[in-house]
Amino acid sequence: MTQRSFELPVVGAGPRVDHAAAAAAFNADVARTDWHDASLWFVREKRDRAAGAVPDWEALRDRASAIKEHALTHLDEYLVRFEENATQNGMQVHWARDADEHNRIVHGILSAAGARKLVKSKSMLTEECGLNPYLEARGIEVVDTDLGERIVQLRGEGPSHIVMPAIHLKKEEVGETFHDKLGTPAGLADPNALAGAAREHLRQRFLAADCTLTGINFAIAETGGFVVCTNEGNADLGMALAPIHIASVGIEKIIPRVEDLGVFLRLLARSATGQAVTAYSTHVHGPREGQALHVVLVDNGRTRQLAREEFWRSLKCIRCGACMNTCPIYRRSGGHSYGSTVPGPIGSVLTPGLDLDRYASLPFASTLCGSCTAVCPVKIDLDAQLFRWRQHVVESGKVSLVKRVAIDGSTRVFDRPRLFRVFGALARVGLRLLPAPLARRAAGAWGRTREAPVPPSQSFRSWYRHHRGGQG
Amino acid sequence: MSATEQSARDAILAAVREARPPAVARVEAPAPTPMVGSSGRSLTDVFTAAAVASGADVTVCSRDDVARVIEAALAGARSVLSFSDFAPSRQCPPSDLHALAALDALVCDTTLGVAENGAVWIASSSDRLRAALFLAARVVVVVMEKDLVDDLHAAYARIDVRAHPFGAFVAGPSKTADIEQSLVIGAHGPKALSIVVVRT
Amino acid sequence: MASSVALFVPCYVDQFFPHVAIAALTVLERLGIQVDVPEGAACCGQPAANAGFAREGHSTIARFVDVYAPYERIIVLSGSCAVHVKQHAGEVAAHGGRTDSAGAGVAERTTEFCSYLHDELGVDWIAGLGATYNGCVAVHIGCHALRSLGLARPSELQVRPFDKVRALLGAVRGLEIAELTRPDECCGFGGTFAVGEPAVSTKMGRDKLRDITTHGAQAVVSTDMSCLMHLDGLARRERMGLPMYHVAEVLAGTAGTR
Repeated sequence: MTQRSFELPVVGAGPRVDHAAAAAAFNADVARTDWHDASLWFVREKRDRAAGAVPDWEALRDRASAIKEHALTHLDEYLVRFEENATQNGMQVHWARDADEHNRIVHGILSAAGARKLVKSKSMLTEECGLNPYLEARGIEVVDTDLGERIVQLRGEGPSHIVMPAIHLKKEEVGETFHDKLGTPAGLADPNALAGAAREHLRQRFLAADCTLTGINFAIAETGGFVVCTNEGNADLGMALAPIHIASVGIEKIIPRVEDLGVFLRLLARSATGQAVTAYSTHVHGPREGQALHVVLVDNGRTRQLAREEFWRSLKCIRCGACMNTCPIYRRSGGHSYGSTVPGPIGSVLTPGLDLDRYASLPFASTLCGSCTAVCPVKIDLDAQLFRWRQHVVESGKVSLVKRVAIDGSTRVFDRPRLFRVFGALARVGLRLLPAPLARRAAGAWGRTREAPVPPSQSFRSWYRHHRGGQG
Repeated sequence: MSATEQSARDAILAAVREARPPAVARVEAPAPTPMVGSSGRSLTDVFTAAAVASGADVTVCSRDDVARVIEAALAGARSVLSFSDFAPSRQCPPSDLHALAALDALVCDTTLGVAENGAVWIASSSDRLRAALFLAARVVVVVMEKDLVDDLHAAYARIDVRAHPFGAFVAGPSKTADIEQSLVIGAHGPKALSIVVVRT
Repeated sequence: MASSVALFVPCYVDQFFPHVAIAALTVLERLGIQVDVPEGAACCGQPAANAGFAREGHSTIARFVDVYAPYERIIVLSGSCAVHVKQHAGEVAAHGGRTDSAGAGVAERTTEFCSYLHDELGVDWIAGLGATYNGCVAVHIGCHALRSLGLARPSELQVRPFDKVRALLGAVRGLEIAELTRPDECCGFGGTFAVGEPAVSTKMGRDKLRDITTHGAQAVVSTDMSCLMHLDGLARRERMGLPMYHVAEVLAGTAGTR
């Protein structure tokens, strides 16, 4: 084994995420929780139909996984090859160790050109890096142009989903936001009319922009080009018009060859939204005439995750969001309850690697049902990784934290002696490690909405001794 | 590259080398079953259905009818920028890319259509074509029936993505479902995409 | 090694659902299987491990390995416990100073109750039980039994459909199965999840119950008593009058007789 020992993630400054508390607040509105759940389930069903239409879907997943594992285990070679070829194609390649370095590089490019107006297309990486506030504090106007991203940006929120950033909002809420910020008529809630208003508003920004920033779905080592996938065409408008294009990309997004795109593009949109392919799958292999094209390769914790034997496969992720759409917890707690840029199952295995203390509750925001693993187009063993993170949360000495996040604080069990007997029994036979006060709390969390099992007159063991005494 | 960036590059590559999990060999898997080949339908039928599902409208016609079909697809557009021999440009905005925002329609040819998803491959070194593809209110694409292929694997085997700085698979008009999952056609780019399949 | 079969009754089944274990034992015995229920290992260690205490729970699964190592077949009366044993018993050899491969052997020889009946005895043999049940039920396969043990095709996978539990229940005369909108959506139990995330756990359970009752089911049949403990707790609180049975009870003909 060439693996190093497990490296404890850094401790960040942010407040601890309490997923259970955030989820409970989300569930206080039952109708809204039902609506959110149904919205995401609708996407899951579309995914099932799209996947079912492809012969050998499962073989395609195997192939995608194998390509990614090969790429990640030869990542240094492919990064260098990408850099060489991209440079030959006329791109300027930059390297950023962390979020701050990424933001400084982007700002450096903008200020060297005197650029003040940036239009962005969706990039979860720049969300992760906190680029918007960084640039805004330095006098740059940053406009997110993906409709969902623009909606949450106008509301001062983060995206709640990596593919559908405003999936948590109702059209009436979008209408109110647009009324406040874009001057649309009060009460306007028709999605067509709202999207039309956003189109006009953003068209002006595209035409006025002196720089565009996009993410990258796939960077191709063999050719030094990259692919950007959108439905709206926002990334394309930016790339086709702005004099400067900055493309920010996590180093794990490198794929070896062009032919690999056949595998990934067949899987991506079908997994994400149930479409056969996104409206635009744009391949860029150089700047336009007179355009400056920069690619920023970002680490920001990815090499640490790559070094973790138990978790490096999480870097196979192609950001389709299918694990969120299928996750019964995500659907019923909303993306914001995860308190991380990437929510849902994949977020819960990626973010603890960035800051275990802060995100310790996320690996517990799961029943380990495994639906995420079964939809993942690159076959990341998400439920197994969640299980392993739980071990690290405990082993890293955060037991008290586990008690706090994993066990509800209610002590109403004193009103429910039978519940206490039940959980006491469980604690005796199974949960030996849970001290009695914890068992009491567990009983409280159980008993608020559920009856306890009716304790039988005798256990099976005792019945067995009576009836099959000679055999045991 | 600045000294800082050079050291960032070296540090990242060193960290990757240090972290690299045991090598997983590249597996040359056999190509998956072709979608159309296994469906018993013609490439044109499957392409048409997929393109319509993506929000495009599709007309299959003979070579003699192409000009007429394009004109119908232009739906009375006043300003038209054409890169196709089948249709002339008219009342074109000046050469400034931003002026193309006023363009009613773009017409262009493609050398490849993908049956499994209804996408057409538009690649060009023309910045005007590229900008018009996203700024024009409607886009009309002409594809020869013989240039339809089964799936993306077949498509990538036929194209050279390096031939131009820009190349895109375009499937239907621009669209969004970001507000309550309601499909809205014409998010930022064209509000209509017409595909003319020419029998060959 | 003794040529023999052992039944493992998980801790919570032993304590709260002895009738289910009795039904399972009855079914196996009626099918002519000589079954032992050895003493000494009350738990497989899954609850602790899923809560993040796998290391501390290691002695639990090590004891399980010690007790069950002599048996040729180990039938676990719970999908999630069976998965835990299959996935983690093999680690026993690598911990705690053990040098033999008993853990890996136990993992290999461990199966789950329904899997054993379907794969090793066969549906035709099960039909010989002559079980009857008059009514319409919803079938709930626990997530681990479904996705890790492969008791049925999970709805996510694009492979030919199969369902071993339905195949077994097909041998029960008079039993009808209600089609659910989301047949394999998790019920929300999830071990400590049920108490760590009570709001979502409860919501998931209530949604599952709504799916069950709106499709005409008058009872629930499952592979896992842990799922049913949760669903039954919710249903009784809401006074839904929705009885819940393990597959073993239906096959033993004891469902609805208590």
